[in-house]
Amino acid sequence: MITSEKEKINYNYKKVARFFFYGVSTVFGIVILTGVLNLILLISVAVVYVNTDAGYIQGGNVMEALTQTGSGYELDREMAEEFERENQWAMLLDENGQVIWSIRKPEELEDQYTQSDIARMSKWYLKGYPVQMRAWEDRIMIVGMQKDTMWKYNMEFTISWMDFVKRTILVFFLIDFTWIVALAFLFTRRFTRKRERARIEWIAGISHDIRTPLSMVMGYSDTLEHNGELSEEARQQAAVIRHQSMVMKELISDLNLTSQLEYSMQALRKEAVRPAEIVRSVAVAFLNDAVPGMLEIDVKIDESGEQTIVKADRQLLMRVFRNLINNSVKHGGQTDAVKISISLWKEKRRCHIRFQDNGVGYSEEVLRRLRGRKKEDAAENIRGLEIVRKIILAHGGKIGFGNCEEGGGYCVIALRARGM
Amino acid sequence: MNLHDCKILLIDDEKALREMVCGFLQRAGFHEVTMAGNCKEAEERFSAIEPHLVLLDIMLPDGDGFSLLKRLRLLSEVPVIFLSARDEDESRLRGLGLGADDYITKPFLAEELILRVTAVLKRVYHTKAIQEEEIIALGKCLVDMGSGLVRWDSAVSEAVGREREIALTAKEYAILQKLAQERGRIVTIDALCDAVWREENYGYENTLVVHIRRLREKIEEDPSHPQYLLTVRGLGYRLV
Repeated sequence: MITSEKEKINYNYKKVARFFFYGVSTVFGIVILTGVLNLILLISVAVVYVNTDAGYIQGGNVMEALTQTGSGYELDREMAEEFERENQWAMLLDENGQVIWSIRKPEELEDQYTQSDIARMSKWYLKGYPVQMRAWEDRIMIVGMQKDTMWKYNMEFTISWMDFVKRTILVFFLIDFTWIVALAFLFTRRFTRKRERARIEWIAGISHDIRTPLSMVMGYSDTLEHNGELSEEARQQAAVIRHQSMVMKELISDLNLTSQLEYSMQALRKEAVRPAEIVRSVAVAFLNDAVPGMLEIDVKIDESGEQTIVKADRQLLMRVFRNLINNSVKHGGQTDAVKISISLWKEKRRCHIRFQDNGVGYSEEVLRRLRGRKKEDAAENIRGLEIVRKIILAHGGKIGFGNCEEGGGYCVIALRARGM
Repeated sequence: MNLHDCKILLIDDEKALREMVCGFLQRAGFHEVTMAGNCKEAEERFSAIEPHLVLLDIMLPDGDGFSLLKRLRLLSEVPVIFLSARDEDESRLRGLGLGADDYITKPFLAEELILRVTAVLKRVYHTKAIQEEEIIALGKCLVDMGSGLVRWDSAVSEAVGREREIALTAKEYAILQKLAQERGRIVTIDALCDAVWREENYGYENTLVVHIRRLREKIEEDPSHPQYLLTVRGLGYRLV
């Protein structure tokens, strides 16, 4: 089948979704952690600041520490020391704006203030001195600091604006958050993609580089095996080398395919295919090569299955069937012929394919691994079946393995059938 | 022309591999093998010897096999078999899309290589000869693929009341030809439909059954108990 170069490439969406989930949750975690860290920093800085930096001495406290005497006012010694320590000053005005008491009052300040002076200093500064006022009966206590020590600014907002801010601040935060998440996600994905691609290319490169030397191992061992001048033993040994080099060939192509399927970068070359036809051609290829009587494949395809079309990568689907039959041949029928029955039917818009053999079935350990639960290395080699599983999952299909009551194992595959 | 007289141009950058493949070909009887290690050399030798078949590696030091094939195609329609160390299907598709005749993935066995080389050479240079010569023997009848006639032994034709010579229809001929090519092996229903109806062959399975029945009436002594054209249930047919 020749397809144009501009073939549509279908990536494995399920894996992308899972990857997306991991990416987002990672970024989410990072953002929350950053937020918490910021909050801790802010609080600790504030605590340090509060401990080292004091504000105005309270006007009320000054009034209470002030006692009226015949000649005027007198301040507690304690409060006087505090003024000294904090480097602040204070003055008391009567109802006419006349200074009637003061402590550490700067030289440049007057002794009489008009109403407008008072109004001005309540909002801004008094000749550059930051001040705070406290009305006490008909008098006003003014506590001041030194120049350039206080930032003073009056703010006013309309009630409706404040309401609006209260209502929208959450949305703002949300937009902010989404923005950060999206940005971080994009960056992480780019980096991960790059790394994945590098790994796949590395494996592809290695498998490519091994092929040429392996060609010679295989070619010459084959030649030696058929060389009549050599002893029977030497030829046997050559046969072993040839056989093992073929095993290596299989391993390399499995490695390559597994790495591509694993990292979800395998672009599936999907086209409309008839599974019935593929199953038949694979089964026939096995039957034609088998020793007569040693392999029986019973293929049952009903009318619905015959017409089913799925969108799939033809080569990979062939590989699925080949691996399944291979597995049955390898592990089945110790006593007599290997019997495999394959049925194919369409049900609920899905194409179902069932393989069953008369072999020993799958061990519990293998079944656990084929269900994707355990990932530890086991004694049994099920690479072929794992590839089957990966290919089916990459096609968005479902696959199940199990043992039949009457002996032997089965495998059921369900692929989405194309609407018709 | 004898197949073994065909000139083969072998292009691969790995000297040891080149020599090995050359050895395989020579042992199989192809004595005119020329080798080239890069694109430049390949193009020079190509014009000089005008090969009947090119074995082309995809990875070459001064360019890739695809672009070299494009340039060679400008000069001639010679059959080309790719030798590649890449097993991705993409290479396969691109190679065949460009007009390469076959594709062998490294590593390969001598047997496989020779089989493919011979198959391509036969297909390109010998197709007619094979079709015309072949006579298929099916017990008491002979099928002459040259004329498309089934010839029965005179004794049998009298006994079962059959004509001595029965002509095959085009469809029956195509089915028999396909089965004869793979004699002894199972041929799937799909492959037969493909051979008979070429493109858009989907849905002809039931029609195929009808044609098989008619074919049996012509070539089998007892069409309801066929001895030669056997059904392999669920899969296809086999000519024994």
